[in-house]
Amino acid sequence: MNIVGRSAPRLDGPAKVTGRCVYAMDMAVPGMLWGRIARSVHAHARIRRIDTSGAWIPGVMAVVTSQDAPPRRFGGLVKDETMLAADVVRYAGQPVAAVAATSPEVAEEALQRLQVEYEVLPAITDPAQALAPGAPLVHDAWEEYAAHPQVVRHGNICGEASVVRGDVDRAFAQADAVFEDTFTTAPVHQAYLEPRAAVAVWETASRLVVYSNTQLPFELQNTLAEIFELPPGNVRVVVTGIGGGFGGKLRVGVEHIAALLARRATRPVKVALSMEEEFLAAYPRHAVHVRLRTAVRRDGTLVAKEATATLDAGAYSGSSPGLPSVATLVLAGPYRIPHLRVTARAVYTHKQNFGSYRAPMGPQCAFAVESQMDMIARRLGLDPLEFRLKNILRDGDTGPTGQVLGRVGLEDALRRVADAIGWPLASAPHRGKGLACTWWTTTGGPSAVYAALRADGSVTLATGCAELGTGALTGAAQILAEELGVDLDRITVTSADTAATPYDYGAQGSRTAFSVGNAARRAAAELRRQILDVAADVLEAHPRDLQLRQGYVTVAGTPGRRVALGEVARLGLQRGGILATGTFVAPPTPYDPACVRGHVYPAFHSPSFHAHAAEVEVDPETGEIRVLRYVAAHDVGFAINPRLIEGQIQGGVVQGLGQALWEQIPYENGQPLVHNLTDYGVPRITAVPFVESTLLEYPSDVGPYGAKGVGEPPIIAPAAVVANAVHAAVGVRITSLPITAPAVYAALRHTGGIR
Amino acid sequence: MTAPGSLRTLSVTLDVNGTRHVVDTPVHYTLLDLLRRGLGLTGTKESCREGACGACTVLLDGRPVASCLVLAASVSGRSVLTIEGVAAEGTLHPLQEAFLASGAVQCGYCTPGMILSALALLREGGVPDEATIRRALSGNICRCTGYATIVEAVQRAAARLVAARVPGGRP
Repeated sequence: MNIVGRSAPRLDGPAKVTGRCVYAMDMAVPGMLWGRIARSVHAHARIRRIDTSGAWIPGVMAVVTSQDAPPRRFGGLVKDETMLAADVVRYAGQPVAAVAATSPEVAEEALQRLQVEYEVLPAITDPAQALAPGAPLVHDAWEEYAAHPQVVRHGNICGEASVVRGDVDRAFAQADAVFEDTFTTAPVHQAYLEPRAAVAVWETASRLVVYSNTQLPFELQNTLAEIFELPPGNVRVVVTGIGGGFGGKLRVGVEHIAALLARRATRPVKVALSMEEEFLAAYPRHAVHVRLRTAVRRDGTLVAKEATATLDAGAYSGSSPGLPSVATLVLAGPYRIPHLRVTARAVYTHKQNFGSYRAPMGPQCAFAVESQMDMIARRLGLDPLEFRLKNILRDGDTGPTGQVLGRVGLEDALRRVADAIGWPLASAPHRGKGLACTWWTTTGGPSAVYAALRADGSVTLATGCAELGTGALTGAAQILAEELGVDLDRITVTSADTAATPYDYGAQGSRTAFSVGNAARRAAAELRRQILDVAADVLEAHPRDLQLRQGYVTVAGTPGRRVALGEVARLGLQRGGILATGTFVAPPTPYDPACVRGHVYPAFHSPSFHAHAAEVEVDPETGEIRVLRYVAAHDVGFAINPRLIEGQIQGGVVQGLGQALWEQIPYENGQPLVHNLTDYGVPRITAVPFVESTLLEYPSDVGPYGAKGVGEPPIIAPAAVVANAVHAAVGVRITSLPITAPAVYAALRHTGGIR
Repeated sequence: MTAPGSLRTLSVTLDVNGTRHVVDTPVHYTLLDLLRRGLGLTGTKESCREGACGACTVLLDGRPVASCLVLAASVSGRSVLTIEGVAAEGTLHPLQEAFLASGAVQCGYCTPGMILSALALLREGGVPDEATIRRALSGNICRCTGYATIVEAVQRAAARLVAARVPGGRP
């Protein structure tokens, strides 16, 4: 192979290093107005009155409230949300009105003059309160909301999933030892540098075009069609450059409000959020409370596990109803455990809607599982590495829901990171080494592409999947180039426009290179067939004897007999052109339906396995943690572009270290206390180690050349790795994220200092 | 209070990427607003608008500044280099090439600011060590890469520039 497997530079790179890539924040169209959103200042309140009269200052072209908005409730698996709050606001930051004006300054001024009168109501600020007997309902009418039939809901629980296997009670009763621990994590934000932004244009009264930095143009198309009661074909979503998403740009953000304002003003409207708004009302990572009970034999064999995870979903469900399913698979962990009872539930509270940040549920649940693995090993006097090796999933094992696993690279990954970090002894006092191992899915869902040979011999690849920044579409282009025997710079990628590119399940779930790559490979096979068909006539040879090589079709064994692809393309035009579609739908992963309940994600598809290790140094005087070294080994199935994959690992690990050490959105009385990148602890270049990565290739049966998803997994392990390393360094066990210096300092004081 | 919609403006004369501009600019505009809204140069990225992220970094008289913290009115008579002026006539600057070759670009939103901060460093000459590079880029947040490839890119470009003995220039 010449092109796949190589670290080719990304195709969208030149536009990005010259400032020419147009992001949603940069988009403008003629006649465009600027929209701004008025937001609730209360976590829970009844709206008594909205007086918009003061907002009509010169330059204001539209003012909208819920009375102007379509009443349709929308959402993911549960449709519980409206565009603008009608009678009740359920979180601080919820949109209640919006204005459009000739400049952002005028729009802002108009917002200040808009009057909203509230009757403040008591807020439910955490899930424990929401689950207490007799607790008031965040949504009185939850039973009337449309919902996916598989989602288990009751009261303030908007989604609950469980896995039960074996005879759990008996296993616990007979175990040599049972360990029970609880863990909590703080909400953290994707902190993409580009806020969500969109420009909405009504081409006619019933045809809407939206330019947006969304990750999911087709979902957005459907959501907007639903809200505005239009046929989806009347809504066109064009994806701009995306300045980071990490799952935060999956669901509708500003597009519906921009479209409502634009309809009202009969002019295009741009809504671009401020960072303050991003911290108030986005889709950050859930705070999770995890309780684990684990039963073991004296020799360190895991026999049973009982786990309960409670997710703070916030006031609207968004991605939450599907995430308990994912949580159960992470809570079971990459281990053989014959008896399992795992439950996760997402709970409404009066906070912003927590969502799908990169590997949703991964870091929180793995922090609990992998911290407890360390704690149990130490309680039993076992080495944490040996304890894991004794229990990890291996070839032929079944996963927690009965899926049969093949080619599991976990032992390899663990041994590699242990060797690389020099497990287990620390290099100096106050230093310690920690490790963790994890598993994750390659999300399926359909992908389709168009591919065409153009008259200059170059190839177009059109995909409805957005380029999120990972470089996954460069990977798909590499596949197309490989299969057609052309250089990578002969491929042009077009992405993504719901009117011009075929349906794709979208840039989410570590699936883009995997799924679009497979679709591209199939399109290449069809293009190849057509190319050889044309060339066979020219070369007077049988297609079977032809090869595609370096932009030419050549006759095998007679390299002099050849025709350039450009010539083939021109001849092909006489037949209507050389163009193909390629589609791919990942086959479902068999599992045991009897052991799951309320599950919308019952198995990890083409699962990947990973191990991370680090050495940290803790300052005993201050509790400050410095990560000295960090190593990660990931099974990627097949590395289509090793450098881009290493970039995913390095970037994901550093994001994970942010969650481990610094990042959090603290809440007080339902109000987020962090509103900007100054206070929010995004890792800076001076605070992070060089992340050493090792790519392992245990191929998937399904992925292109065996490739698996790589985008999400790197963020899962770091919090657990840091917790374990800190314990190894100074003997304190922090069970709550983030592991801040004050938390470590307090724990050191509590235990009377370093052991 | 000034009536909204009729914002007071003043005339600002400045040099941007080697071209002299005379712009009527609302008095409250920052340099970021002037570049993006006044001159249509959207390569300079808008993010936090409070100097925390570095996405809007430009060189003002050769020094890196967060353009969101500089009032447009204060730049009269001064010269600004933005990402649009880093490559000349379709030839990428060695820093831009190094960012591509090292895989230092993912979403790309921090990239213009990163490149300008790095350019200011490289104009000091020599091949800076890793700690110096990290210090020089400490005002620029990248959420995608974990920074390792960015450090590598700056080192790579520095080595190339030194080899060409044209400090900060074009080899």
